[in-house]
Amino acid sequence: MDNIAGTKSGLTWAVHLSVAFLVILWLFPTVGLFVSSFRTADQIATSGWWKSMFPAEQNLVIRAAAPDTQVQQGDLYVIEGDLFEGRSAGTVSVWGISSRAIADYKAGDTAELNKGGTITVNPDGTYRMENTEEFTGSRGQRVFITATTPPEFTTANYESMLLDPRNSEGMTKAFFSTLTVTIPSTVIPIVIAAFAAYALAWMEFPGRALLIAAVVGLLVVPLQLALIPLLKFHNVIGIGKGYVGVWLAHTGFGLPLAIYLLRNYMVGLPRDIIENAKVDGATDFQIFVKIILPLSFPALASFAIFQFLWTWNDLLVAMVFLVDSTGETTVMTKQIVELLGTRGGNWEILATAAFISMAVPIAVFFAMQRYLVRGLLAGSVK
Amino acid sequence: MKLNLLASVAGLALIAGAANAELRFAPGEGAFNWDSYEALKSVDLSGEQITVFGPWLGPDQELVDSVLEYFREATGADVRYTGSDSFEQQIVVDVEGGSAPNIAIYPQPGLAADMAGRGQLTPLPQETADWTRENYAAGQSWVDLGTYAGPGGEDEYYGFFYKVDVKSLVWYIPENFEDAGYEVPETMEDLKALTEQIVADGETPWCIGLGSGGATGWPATDWVEDMMLRTQDPATYDMWVTNDLPFNDEKVVAAIEEFGWFARNDDHVAGGAGAVASTDFRDSPKGLFSSPPQCYMHRQASFIPTFFPEGTVIGEDADFFYFPAYAEKDLGKPVLGAGTVFAITNDSPGAQELMKFLQSPIAHEVWMAQSGFLTPHKGVNTDLFGDPTLKKMNDILLNADTFRFDGSDLMPGGVGAGTFWTGMVDYAGGADAQTVADEIQNSWDALK
Repeated sequence: MDNIAGTKSGLTWAVHLSVAFLVILWLFPTVGLFVSSFRTADQIATSGWWKSMFPAEQNLVIRAAAPDTQVQQGDLYVIEGDLFEGRSAGTVSVWGISSRAIADYKAGDTAELNKGGTITVNPDGTYRMENTEEFTGSRGQRVFITATTPPEFTTANYESMLLDPRNSEGMTKAFFSTLTVTIPSTVIPIVIAAFAAYALAWMEFPGRALLIAAVVGLLVVPLQLALIPLLKFHNVIGIGKGYVGVWLAHTGFGLPLAIYLLRNYMVGLPRDIIENAKVDGATDFQIFVKIILPLSFPALASFAIFQFLWTWNDLLVAMVFLVDSTGETTVMTKQIVELLGTRGGNWEILATAAFISMAVPIAVFFAMQRYLVRGLLAGSVK
Repeated sequence: MKLNLLASVAGLALIAGAANAELRFAPGEGAFNWDSYEALKSVDLSGEQITVFGPWLGPDQELVDSVLEYFREATGADVRYTGSDSFEQQIVVDVEGGSAPNIAIYPQPGLAADMAGRGQLTPLPQETADWTRENYAAGQSWVDLGTYAGPGGEDEYYGFFYKVDVKSLVWYIPENFEDAGYEVPETMEDLKALTEQIVADGETPWCIGLGSGGATGWPATDWVEDMMLRTQDPATYDMWVTNDLPFNDEKVVAAIEEFGWFARNDDHVAGGAGAVASTDFRDSPKGLFSSPPQCYMHRQASFIPTFFPEGTVIGEDADFFYFPAYAEKDLGKPVLGAGTVFAITNDSPGAQELMKFLQSPIAHEVWMAQSGFLTPHKGVNTDLFGDPTLKKMNDILLNADTFRFDGSDLMPGGVGAGTFWTGMVDYAGGADAQTVADEIQNSWDALK
């Protein structure tokens, strides 16, 4: 017995380890995105996020204060300041004043400037430039330092998205607009699909198998095929671009999966209950409302999560059926794309926006996740 | 509940609309051509909605809005600008689906030409063509670039150019050049000598990045076009763009190899030749600013300062010089550029008026006085440029002996925004220039 127990525990360890490995692998990109959302664009461009969490030795180019800040002390013109001003303090080890010789001087040394005068840089980043003549030029002297700096994070990205009036107005508008798109686009297909699924699962009529096959067939049709014809159709019947159009489109694109999923679940419900009810004289509608719907709740919930996430994150369908050139309608995804700029260069905003737009779906997911697995497995395992 | 939501959405929209409503420069002040603004007030478009759809987002969107605001203010029209990062796909869907905006702003003339051929654009009146010929520097060439074959095959003037980019620029850090004792090269021979000298000094001369998501490869097409203009005469360039000169001609292959001289040598490029295709074009200029510098020069169009580190002052922290021409070839100073085309996709009186507004100096000056705007309009006050760099770029434009439009934008989409891009990625990755050119020519033949 000891033997067997021993083998067992070894296997358990293997399972735990591989689960831990998979979870870490799965979370890795998200953690990276999260860390990046607290960094500036320049930081993201110059070093990986995994380096940002530890003190690191960095080569920096920092400008000393501009000549117009010089003060006269006796015969000398002096510029003083702190190289780490406006960033987290570090420790300078070596430094230089030429891009070709960035480590010529140790902290505390004094260097001769090319244009006359001297500069001294201390380990704590403070510096003093002295000159017998006035410093000229409009930009400060460049100092190349090699410094150990502590991790530095900023909430500026979140502030610019949520508090900056230029962005936050658009984001708030987009948030409500997205809810206006998402909620009906989740409810309508579920209602229709529940009726259809019941009919396909429990009502006897000719051609039922063919209909089910057709629904399964529709699952593989890419929605891109339908974009232009459907938009033309909307324009012909007078809906045009707008909320109604995007609700209809999401409903249409979501229905095949919804019907398929719900029908498979409902077919698995015990036949006895339904037949008993029929014997007792219940109509199909009563059976549907009083028996099937309550029993199908896990499946309904799991599909609701799917549909909600998909419509929340959708950009394509919204751009085609909702966002018109009057600029009155928008969605979160569109707003985020706009924040990225014409050439998509604002990476820091991308990471931040991802987390802000993720908040609602995550809340929905956690509120309903216990139904998700149950609903998904339903119909596949009996 | 839904009504509440809709009401709050509408309310927010109103607030957003109100926030825009102010003119960037007060009428009557400064050296702007305010006459053209006053003249606009005679046009009354109150209550008319004009929708404009273009590729500009973020700061660029604010800039274009600041220009349109003058039109709104003067005519009372309700002009709406919306931007999209997938403009090229979106405009096709909208127009085909029957919900076209009034005016579309094309970043590439090729797509405008396609849509004109399908009868989806409204030709501009003859006066606009005459006006462009008269008032734009090299006017006829701008008219030619905006003239496409209509649905019946006859040529008509559809596209009006507004906002131009110069592409033949090399960006560098003046202080790094100073530290190393390098001079700004005046000729291509000097530029190549400088490249070799930097290598001899143990440093890396160039930062080149071709990555751009789905459009990866386009920066290399600009290199090849610039090299075409520096090794062949403009007529040959024009023939190449229309495929009267086959893509696999030895002249084109030679231009591709000129690019290869810079990009395919491990010593010439930061990160080695292997990094060229995988580096994002937005990240590649950052090597100029690192300590120690990863590279000394970066060839890119006039928009690239957007991707420089925050706080960079152009003209002091970083500067540019004209991507020089060969002294021995006697081809003058060719300049490669690009521009955006305005075209009417859904005709209305307001749309026609807005196109007329774009011809007025004020429409150019308002953007000029801010940032990132060059114009061939001869009637504007060039003192108004927001910063001296823009003026310097405009001078490059004006001093050009030859101005040629970005060739890949003029080629059919399947080549200019397809196989030319991917071919250049293959070439940067080590493929043979002749093989790459043959493949691009094959793809072009297949489109005919």
